[in-house]
Amino acid sequence: MIATSPAARKSRADEAIVSAPEGNRIVTPIDLKFVEEAVERIGREPDAVIPMLQETQEHYGYLPEEALKRICEITRITPAAIAGVSSFYDMFRHRPVGKHILRVCRGTACHVTGAERVEDTLRRHLGIPPGEDTDPERRFTIEPVACLGCCTLAPVVKMDHNTFGHASAENASRMLAQFLAPNGAGSGQPQTEEERRNAVGLPQINIGLGSCCMAKGSDRLFEELQKSVEETGAQVLVKRVGCVGMCHRTPMIEVAIPGKPGVFYSGLAPGQARELVLRHFKPRGLMRNLSGLWDRALDSVLNDAPVEKVANHAMDTKKEEVCAFLEKQVHIATEQFGKADPLDLDEFLAHGGFEALAKCLRGAVACEKKVQGMLAAGEKEVQWGEPLFAAEELIGMIEKSGLRGRGGAGFPTGPKWRLARRQSGEVKYVICNGDEGDPGAFMDRMLLESFPYRIIEGLAIAAVAIGAHEGIFYIRHEYPLAVKRIRAAIKLCRKRGWLGERVAGVDYPLRMTIKEGAGAFVCGEETALIASIECRRGMPRLRPPFPVEEGLWGKPTVINNVETLALVPWILRHGPEAFAAYGTKTSKGTKVFALAGNIVRGGLIEIPMGTTIREIVEVIGGGVGPGRQFKAVQIGGPSGGCVPAKLADTPVDYESLRDVGAIMGSGGMVVLDDRACMVDIARYFLQFTQDQSCGKCTFCRVGTRRMLDILERLCAGKGQRQELVELERLSRQVGAGSLCGLGKTAPNPVLTTLRYFREEYEAHIEGRCPAGKCAGLVKYRVLENCTGCTLCAQSCPVNAIPMTPYSRHFIDTTKCTRCDSCRQVCPHNAIEVK
Amino acid sequence: MSTFNITIDGHELAVEAGQTVLGAAKKLGIDIPNLCYLEKCGPLNSCLVCLVKINGKLVPSCGTKVEPGMKIESGTTEVHEARKTALELLFSEHVGDCLSPCHRLCPLGMNIPVMLRHIQARKFDEAFVAVRDALPMPSVLGRLCHHPCEQGCRRGTWDEAAAIRDLERRVSDDDFESSNPYLPPKKAPSGKSVVIVGAGPAGLSATDYLLRQGHACTVVDRHELAGGSLRKEVDSEALPVEILDAELDRLSRFGVKFKMGVTLGMDVTLDGLLRGFDAVLITVGEIGKADGQALGLEMTPGGIKVQAETSHTNVPGVFAAGSSVKPMNQVVRVMSEGRAAAECIHMFLLGKPIQRKGKPFSNVMGRLSKGELDKFMEGADLVKRAKACDICETYSRKASLTEASRCLHCDCRSSGDCSLQTYAQVYGADASRYRHQRRPFEQKVQPGGVIFEPGKCILCGICVKLTEMAQEELGLTFVGRGFDVRVAAPFNGSIEEGLKKTAAECVEHCPTGALTFE
Repeated sequence: MIATSPAARKSRADEAIVSAPEGNRIVTPIDLKFVEEAVERIGREPDAVIPMLQETQEHYGYLPEEALKRICEITRITPAAIAGVSSFYDMFRHRPVGKHILRVCRGTACHVTGAERVEDTLRRHLGIPPGEDTDPERRFTIEPVACLGCCTLAPVVKMDHNTFGHASAENASRMLAQFLAPNGAGSGQPQTEEERRNAVGLPQINIGLGSCCMAKGSDRLFEELQKSVEETGAQVLVKRVGCVGMCHRTPMIEVAIPGKPGVFYSGLAPGQARELVLRHFKPRGLMRNLSGLWDRALDSVLNDAPVEKVANHAMDTKKEEVCAFLEKQVHIATEQFGKADPLDLDEFLAHGGFEALAKCLRGAVACEKKVQGMLAAGEKEVQWGEPLFAAEELIGMIEKSGLRGRGGAGFPTGPKWRLARRQSGEVKYVICNGDEGDPGAFMDRMLLESFPYRIIEGLAIAAVAIGAHEGIFYIRHEYPLAVKRIRAAIKLCRKRGWLGERVAGVDYPLRMTIKEGAGAFVCGEETALIASIECRRGMPRLRPPFPVEEGLWGKPTVINNVETLALVPWILRHGPEAFAAYGTKTSKGTKVFALAGNIVRGGLIEIPMGTTIREIVEVIGGGVGPGRQFKAVQIGGPSGGCVPAKLADTPVDYESLRDVGAIMGSGGMVVLDDRACMVDIARYFLQFTQDQSCGKCTFCRVGTRRMLDILERLCAGKGQRQELVELERLSRQVGAGSLCGLGKTAPNPVLTTLRYFREEYEAHIEGRCPAGKCAGLVKYRVLENCTGCTLCAQSCPVNAIPMTPYSRHFIDTTKCTRCDSCRQVCPHNAIEVK
Repeated sequence: MSTFNITIDGHELAVEAGQTVLGAAKKLGIDIPNLCYLEKCGPLNSCLVCLVKINGKLVPSCGTKVEPGMKIESGTTEVHEARKTALELLFSEHVGDCLSPCHRLCPLGMNIPVMLRHIQARKFDEAFVAVRDALPMPSVLGRLCHHPCEQGCRRGTWDEAAAIRDLERRVSDDDFESSNPYLPPKKAPSGKSVVIVGAGPAGLSATDYLLRQGHACTVVDRHELAGGSLRKEVDSEALPVEILDAELDRLSRFGVKFKMGVTLGMDVTLDGLLRGFDAVLITVGEIGKADGQALGLEMTPGGIKVQAETSHTNVPGVFAAGSSVKPMNQVVRVMSEGRAAAECIHMFLLGKPIQRKGKPFSNVMGRLSKGELDKFMEGADLVKRAKACDICETYSRKASLTEASRCLHCDCRSSGDCSLQTYAQVYGADASRYRHQRRPFEQKVQPGGVIFEPGKCILCGICVKLTEMAQEELGLTFVGRGFDVRVAAPFNGSIEEGLKKTAAECVEHCPTGALTFE
């Protein structure tokens, strides 16, 4: 298997050092004019290095050494800095790439749903040799990505800018063909990020345009709907909305007619747009109607294709399934989910947007004037006739709400702000941490894409609370749509006076900028994040001093997670008591989870703290697939743990999860059924952490690799019994000794699986993989009930099954790569894996 | 500057604000191990060997500032285990031998590469110092030793091992002719005395050691001539009698007093010896059960019963070694056993707990693959092994020089000056604990004499920081991420190009042997 073979491990260092394109002795000289122009635009200071590298790569497709040298010549960026930074982050490449880039997601949900097989198939199909990443003709470069954050569509492949969900070994080649077809997905992407003002009062067709929805074709459907409305002249607004949450049903649309209950459709194809429009809205003018219907009828006759009825896609919201998914949810961070156009500022304002910020600003400024004795005679302290939130009062409210950081560790937000407020100094920073790097998590992406103004408001309030005038969004580059939407939202806020020199007409300057991450999980750790914004290698440093004391550029800095910030405006609008009414004693409010993996109804959910794992998996998610057994949930990604089904009644709150060995994490929840091998899961996460470790401290850099060594031996059936003891001991040492949170929590997946699934480890020592996942330990065999249908032989990619029609087939185990294709296609369950 | 009190392992100490825990501990005389800390660079927090426990958490002491009332644990088992693990993890990817295989295999622990380097530099006197410091009877061993060193010689996997024993014999015999023969230094007289019963290889080796430690030694033997079992080698013509006599003479000159013709049990009793001396060492060679019991000693089927860890017999103050404990053939092993017992006696005389000395710590690289061996041979002299007579004949010093030049210097250039090695010894680290597959051997010899061995780099970051501070034009940087991070010069530059201003400084502060001068 590609992902597990040590020989195939990608070494960034190797790539960076061997920078000359191999097999191509005559290197065509590179036009360096672009570099010079870019330097003029971006700047010459050392902190320009990451944007400079990003633009250079965008232009050349990779980072030519000549270009890097030229940058060093004409800027204050040193060779050491450029070599160090460009080899640290995933996105930078030092070798030329193929024409197209295929990014294969290696997130948790994708891993448990067969991403390795998809990658194997694509490699075989494209003729990319093992150990290489590009085919000899340089058409395709295959690139593993830690997580694309489309977990409900797992396994996911991104081809250039297009995302394909539910990939499989069987449909991989079809996917490629679709991508390469003229006018196919590869030929461009509809624009969905322009600013919009939606007309008010019209009937609406709401369509979710989050990254996940678009991966399932909602962008094409959106285009077709707009076209159909235009052609039929229907008086209806086709409205782009954010995430709908029900990712398992996308593309999903809602037909909302004022005064009537909404009608939902799921899984519509772009070709069905017109029929949908006609079904609900009478066209203006009989002729148009007739001509439209005539066209449609003619089309179906000529195409001779079975026309699926639009009505078949209607969803009954009263139906148990939909009710179960929605009933237990409480929408605070995701308020207005599925209703609001992400970039319609007027709509945001109409629903109470920026109300809390305005109060905070006026309160802060009034308070400041009072302190300085500058209130003019007769000037009222309270100007709106409503309570204003002076900064202290505002922090008090957040404290009272019991809000804790949603990024993982759960540090109380109010006290953090108070610490930062107490720091002296003119310059302070607030940072929104959108570096959601955990494989299996996509909450932050959905929030940024769906509710950009809300996050801006949260960050602005944090700034006012601590007295900062600069806010920075740090968003991982794997989330291009989130970046675009936040960028568009900031621009509009500036235009409309919600950001800038005087925010909301008050004398309070507030600027916001975006820094795009360059691909490094460790940059979610706050000191590494700061290093990354300062354009250094994202290596964490020892705390204290904490960022609230010495953060970005040595100034007091508050770093909050996206979801934390999304909750803030609601708390201020509804009061801390309303928020604290949800949740448990120590964990207040709600938590957004990305529910994915082996589950019927995956999606984005927001539930009150204290909801049990069982309620989430079985009621909201509808349980694991038919005939499968619920085995465990992986919560918290590489820092979290596996909670076994027998502990499914554990309530979701910070302390309960910690007690069972997991952590809240940022909210990735990957459900595992009986096909998941727990040793393999532990190996998967250690593979991730040892690769994502910044490589600074001994425990994390070497310790996680040594743990992985042991796990790899176990998965290959070469483990020894005493190695379990050593694995456990080393896990504890790495947890205790590592410098930052990444290393300290990296052993959790190992420790929890050792704690709850020790028998599986024992089985591997005895040479068995009970789940049939570890390739080195399983054999495929055709059973007697084989009818000789030859499907397995046809699907086998390595010709390990000779074609013997009408008689029982057999598998040559010396050739078999355990790719599982035969078992998947067999109509008679005649393939045994043991 | 405000001062306040903290406690380290229960010891209270006044410190100044702003000081690091590492610095504070140093004041108290507590040596917290550290590899990546250099004051000039500030805390780099990379090696994490300097962990201490504060408030229930392990933290690096180099980067943690003292706070009033801070309670620090440094000497607990938990802290030591964590430090040891950090060292062991570093060793799991460490490629190289601290001590050369020949050195490690020598039962007497002779630093062979040092001897060979002196020969190569035509410093024969100094070569003999290296020999004599480890070997009690070098000219005897130069003839009788079964030279396990040569079995381990890496040169042997290429063509033939270096002729270590013959070269050792050559420099040792030369000393006989010297107008200024070398005598090892002795410590100031301790006022303690030891009687050694039996003037064979074990007894003489022990005596040689005890004399160096400043103890007065008397060797008694029932024979008329000293030498014990070595006399048998004379009979079999393996050892010329004049060489044995010259060697005994050399020992006499060093201060060994012989009393011949004295038989234990007849002329003297153990009790009597214990009244006259502070300790007794029995090295009489093979001894029958009845004879031993008659002396009041407990016996095993092989010989005198001693505690393996202390060489102590059942009679307090009486030690035994060599074939009188267990029959042995190889003379070098007998001498090594004699010296080990002498080390125990030394501790006994100082009133310290007796513990047989362990082997010096060394990382072991193991067998080299073909490609690695080629790299290892880079710059080596490809001349064939000389014949024994060419080396040992007194007129041919040239052959010795050539032969010594065949040495590949497998020992680490920083051995003895390496923090990693030092702390590994202190913490009893097992260098191979987490190593399942060794990283390939690499070394880059630069034209200006800087040698970079990536396999010995622990990524402490000191050189990266020093080059940055000195504003090197190219400098060094970390390349890559995760386990694969390494230190390199940018743009495929050589290490030398990266170290234009700072080579000497970086070599000096490299905590291991990753950066050295030729």
